[in-house]
Amino acid sequence: MKKKLIYLGLTGCILFALSTRLQAQTDSLQAHRYVTRATMYGVGFTNVFDTYLSPQEYKGIDFRVSRELIRMTKLFDGNISVQNFFQANISYTHNRADNNNTFSGLVNWNYGLHYQFRLTENFKLLAGGLIDVNGGFVYNLRNTNNPASARAYVNLDASGMAIWHLKIKQYPMVLRYQINLPVMGVMFSPHYGQSYYEIFSLGNSSGVIKFTSLHNQPSLRQMLSVDLPIGYTKMRFSYLADLQQSNVNNIKTHTYSHAFMVGFVKDLYRIRNKKGTALPSSVRAY
Amino acid sequence: MLKLQVRDQLMMRNKIKQILWLLCCLPVLTGCIGEDDYANDPRGNFEQLWKIIDEQYCFLDTKGIDWDAVHDEYSKLIIPSMSNDDLFDILSQMLYILKDGHVNLSSASRISYYDAWYQGYPWNYREDILYNYYLGSTNSDYRTSAGLKYKIFDNNIGYIRYESFSAGVGDGNLDEVLYYLQICNGLIIDVRDNGGGNLTNSSRIAARFTDKQALTGYIQHKTGPGHNDFSEMEPIYLEPSNSIRWQKKVVILTNRRCYSATNDFVNIMRSLNNDNEDKRIIQLGDQTGGGSGLPFSSELPNGWSIRFSASPHFDKYGKSLEDGIKPDVYVNMDKILEEGIEQGDIESQKKDPLIEKAFEILSE
Repeated sequence: MKKKLIYLGLTGCILFALSTRLQAQTDSLQAHRYVTRATMYGVGFTNVFDTYLSPQEYKGIDFRVSRELIRMTKLFDGNISVQNFFQANISYTHNRADNNNTFSGLVNWNYGLHYQFRLTENFKLLAGGLIDVNGGFVYNLRNTNNPASARAYVNLDASGMAIWHLKIKQYPMVLRYQINLPVMGVMFSPHYGQSYYEIFSLGNSSGVIKFTSLHNQPSLRQMLSVDLPIGYTKMRFSYLADLQQSNVNNIKTHTYSHAFMVGFVKDLYRIRNKKGTALPSSVRAY
Repeated sequence: MLKLQVRDQLMMRNKIKQILWLLCCLPVLTGCIGEDDYANDPRGNFEQLWKIIDEQYCFLDTKGIDWDAVHDEYSKLIIPSMSNDDLFDILSQMLYILKDGHVNLSSASRISYYDAWYQGYPWNYREDILYNYYLGSTNSDYRTSAGLKYKIFDNNIGYIRYESFSAGVGDGNLDEVLYYLQICNGLIIDVRDNGGGNLTNSSRIAARFTDKQALTGYIQHKTGPGHNDFSEMEPIYLEPSNSIRWQKKVVILTNRRCYSATNDFVNIMRSLNNDNEDKRIIQLGDQTGGGSGLPFSSELPNGWSIRFSASPHFDKYGKSLEDGIKPDVYVNMDKILEEGIEQGDIESQKKDPLIEKAFEILSE
């Protein structure tokens, strides 16, 4: 009952947020053409756990790249922004006794819309939803018929963001906090003691795709970033907490990653060129 | 009017704050997903091992093992100050109760291994006799293709020796071998001492011996930690190869050391016989060793690895294959060779009674 109330409340809040227009954007004529793009590289700590492979946690280093595009759209009088966030990570982790290792990797793509509530000229809150697609693996270097565990899941996420443009002693910066919470989705998982041989060689794949929600996949991605102009460029430093968990088909997994990332931010202007005609020769580089 | 707008904005801000707080707090309500964290000491390692077998081993009830009683019995033997060697001995003894060759505890220095399924039985295989008097030299007498050694004997019987299902065999290898042996009147497949390996090699070879799809057995897997949490028995079908297939008689030579994937291969091959006809595929020698549970791996807090049977296989009648498959024709090589010595028959010591019996059957 408690969980049902939470679902209802969350869904209601998001619908309310999306359907309410707080204030019209005054200059949205070409706003959707401005794109903010950030490409980042990071390293961090990760804790990988998968009872299909081992009851022990594996801890180690995590390398990560991400690319984010965010721009305004024409929707809701130009108050909706679209975010396209792609990240990939690879980890090398060790068991407690440090006599076995795992490799793991995950590719994650988020695409979704946020309604922008401009509370002041410099501070805004964003609320919306994302499609959250994930694919990856955990490979245990010692196991026999259960050497690896595949990760494949798609979620609908509730997403919130706060963006604050501020100045410290005339030095401008942008602080951003984002949280993405998977609300419902589907996930691939073998059964408790089922081998991948049985699924893929013998074709017994019944029940390996399961519905997920907060009760069996309480996961979370949080990102805190700061954009700093340095010379002619704008750099972004961020902390990403990527907390993925699941308990599906009696197999428990978690991957807790904490990555520190650094990269460059570019503000671009998209040129309308639907016919694919070439740019004037005097300006084109390609 | 202005007051109303300000009030609306304040209410909206509160709602947005509530949404963000809800997003932040929801994961806290559901909590972390993990497992019991056992200490890396003798007690913790014992408890972790007992739990892995309790929840994941697939033959506890089939073999009538009271695993709770085993816990009570062995728990008393665990003391905090015991050495790694002593702990390994105790844990290995506990695992021997499972009587399963697929159950191994491995540390950096030792591996526990239950071997009573072949120790104390006639070996039924003599490599010296095979190579000295049958196969000969690889330079001139027999051929090798991937993991297969093969030859045509003088009596026009074909012979294939496959020592391990871990040795890769591709369809191209099988095409060449069967093309070479096509003139033979019958075929011997010798899998004695083959301790298993890759199941896909087993079905790839067996697919050369059927012209139609065949039910070869069933597989189950555990669906949860309870002793009886099993899936339905899912049928396993063998599809015929679309390349060269063997249509004539086959004799498979087996001994007690045929285990795991070899046990599976013998089961598949035997299941290709039609119930109401004379057997085209005959198993000769001794019972196979069994090992019908597909093994999984796990580990203890101290890093020791544990392998155990996780997913049982059955024959096409739904009967367990864990204890091995009895031969159609039983031959005790050790006894025949001993009798030869007693009778002073030197020539008998140069013969492999299993191969000789296979010649007889294939020449009929």
